Amino acid sequence: MGKQIRRWLAQIVTLPNPTVLFFLAKTAFAVEEVSKIIKESVESAIGGNAYQHSRVHQWTTTVVEQCLSQLSKLGKPFKYIVTCVIMQKNGAGLQTSSACFWDNTTDGSCAVRWENKSMYCIVSVYGLAI
Amino acid sequence: MSALPKDKPQRKEKRMGKAPSEGGHGHKAKDVTSRPKDSISTVSYMDELGHHDDNPRMAVAMENTYRMGPDKRFSVPALTAILKDVLTSYLQEEKYEAEWARQMTKTLCEVIRARVKELGIPRYKTVILVHIGQLTGQGMQISSRCLWDAANDTFASYSLKNSSLFGVANVFCVYFE
Repeated sequence: MGKQIRRWLAQIVTLPNPTVLFFLAKTAFAVEEVSKIIKESVESAIGGNAYQHSRVHQWTTTVVEQCLSQLSKLGKPFKYIVTCVIMQKNGAGLQTSSACFWDNTTDGSCAVRWENKSMYCIVSVYGLAI
Repeated sequence: MSALPKDKPQRKEKRMGKAPSEGGHGHKAKDVTSRPKDSISTVSYMDELGHHDDNPRMAVAMENTYRMGPDKRFSVPALTAILKDVLTSYLQEEKYEAEWARQMTKTLCEVIRARVKELGIPRYKTVILVHIGQLTGQGMQISSRCLWDAANDTFASYSLKNSSLFGVANVFCVYFE
C-alpha cells in the first residue's frame, strides 16, 4: 500500500508543473512571433511601393508604431525598443550592429531585413524583461 | 553482430550533439523566405553573440530589495559625450569599405558598451545600436520608438558624417525593476 502511494507521488512530481510552464511561456522572448509581427507591419506599411523621399518619414513611423502596438498586445512583461531603417537602393553600403548588456535568459532581440527593388528596410526589436 | 551495438551509441551521440545548437539561443540565424512578390525578408536573432555564457549560471534567489526606483540614473549628456568621443575617434578620418564597416560596427558596439558599463550605474540594461553607411546621395531614414517607463529609462544618440560615410550610434538604457 505504501509502495503504491509512493509511486503516485513520484508520478505527480515528475509531471511538468503547469504553473511553471505557464510562467516560462509568459516571460520568454518569442522570436518567431516577433518576426511575424515585424514582417506583417512592414508589408502593410510599405507593400509594393517604390522609394519616395516624401513618404519615408511616414513609412518608418507607421512600421515602428504598428510593431509596438502589436507587441504590446502580446501582453508580456517586456519593455520594447523598436528601430526602423529605410534606405534607398543605389549601391550604397550600410552596416548595422548592436551590443546588449542584459539577461540572456529572458531578454532577446530580433532583426528583419526586408528589401524590394528600390529600398532596404531593416527593423530590429529588442525585448527587455521587466 | 558486433556492428550493431557500435552503431547505436554513435547515432545517439549525433542526436545529442545536434540538440544544443537547435535549442537555446538559436544560432541558426537566417531564415530566408522568398515569395512570388518582389520583396525579400531575412530574419536574424542573437546573431554571433559577443559574450556568451556556455554554461548558464544557476538562478540565484535574492532577497527582496523593496526598491521602487533607481538610485542613480544615466545622464544623457554623459552618454552623448561617450558616443561623440568614440565615433569621432574611430570614424572621422576613415573611408567606407564594406569589410571594414562590418568589423567597425561590431568594434564600436563593444567599445561603447564597455564605456557605458564603466559609468557603473546598477540595475540598468543597455542596448547599443551602431549604423555605418556609405554616402552616395541616397535617401535614408532611421527612426526608433520604445515602449518603456519614460521616468527612468533613457536614450542617447549621436551621428557623424564625413565625406564618404556616416555613423549613427544609439544607446538605450532601460531600468531593470
